Amino acid sequence: MEIEVLEKNDVNMRLLIRGVDTPFVNALRRTVLAEVPCMAIDEVVIIENSSVLQDEIIAHRLGLIPLKTDLNGYNLPEECPCKSEFGCNLCRVSLTLDAEAKEGTRTVYSGELISENPDIVPVSDKIPIVKLVKEQKLKLEAYARLGKGKKHAKWQPVSMCTYKYYPQIKIDSKRCDACGKCVEICPRKVLTKNVNKIEVRDLIVCTLCQDCMDVCPQNPPAIDVSWDENTFIFNLESTGALPPKRIITEAIKILDKRLKEFIKHVKVKTREKS
Amino acid sequence: MIIPVRCFTCGKLIGDKWEEFARRVKAGEEPGEVLDSLEIKRYCCRRMLLSHVEIIDEILRFYEEAEKRKEARNQYY
Ligand code: SF4
Ligand code: SF4
Ligand SMILES: [Zn+2]
Ligand SMILES: [Zn+2]
Repeated sequence: MEIEVLEKNDVNMRLLIRGVDTPFVNALRRTVLAEVPCMAIDEVVIIENSSVLQDEIIAHRLGLIPLKTDLNGYNLPEECPCKSEFGCNLCRVSLTLDAEAKEGTRTVYSGELISENPDIVPVSDKIPIVKLVKEQKLKLEAYARLGKGKKHAKWQPVSMCTYKYYPQIKIDSKRCDACGKCVEICPRKVLTKNVNKIEVRDLIVCTLCQDCMDVCPQNPPAIDVSWDENTFIFNLESTGALPPKRIITEAIKILDKRLKEFIKHVKVKTREKS
Repeated sequence: MIIPVRCFTCGKLIGDKWEEFARRVKAGEEPGEVLDSLEIKRYCCRRMLLSHVEIIDEILRFYEEAEKRKEARNQYY
């Protein structure tokens, strides 16, 4: 297996993975979606709410706010040595909110949540939680915990995690008369016309739709789009909870652990048989 | 009612981008271009902002009116 980083910033990452098969990349993708833990508000105690939104709606909105996560400092509640339903300092972070509209109508933003741990804060300070008119009040205490995407989507560290085959575009320059129809129809502007030749401008963005093949007047088409079944473009967009690199390394660690466990069970079973 | 925190379909955070989007569109910019500049690429997230109506503002007006009346009454007595 060979991995090349095509693009990386603080939320997006695009990898080129060579020499693997679909089950492997799909396992990686599903691990990222369902098994990599991150922090989200899980329980809310409403002390006062005279806003126009019900308690449940506010609690739901709070739950969906992505929180910057510290995976090293916290335990999953089910793995925490405290064994308490309520949680301890190692598996729970409390955030408080006390907002009142004194002057007139105003919006309460996620930045007003005060966290007991300054590292576990909303990824953005500008997410509206509710709007209050004069004299209305919202006071609450929220508890954030680590969780996994398989239980609730708010614990998914990514807002996108996809893969696709690596495209291969071949243009038969002998039969191509450079009519430019394929350039025109391509929805991703993959192809360009350079004097009397069709060239591939940006191979990575090709969606393998094969519209260019259908539109080609030559029979068979002078352009051929296929894909390499053992090379994948892996795309990942973090919600901001964890850096993309950490999400991937964490997913690989979890996948490795689960596979080892699986092999152990298979071995036990075969020994029982013999 | 109020802008959702995340995209219904993919889960991308969009709540924090609504105010800038609404302000710039009101100022006359092309909505599609504003979405591009906010780096909202997928159409599931784009429709979240494009089709949103902030109804909470309409509801708040009732409470604002009630508040005003209460103040006027206090002044009168
Ligand atoms: S397969 Fe589709 S996206 Fe790819 S080059 Fe042809 S028309 Fe463009
Ligand atoms: S449509 Fe076919 S013939 Fe026309 S430029 Fe493209 S590949 Fe060449
Ligand atoms: Zn604990
Ligand atoms: Zn979306």
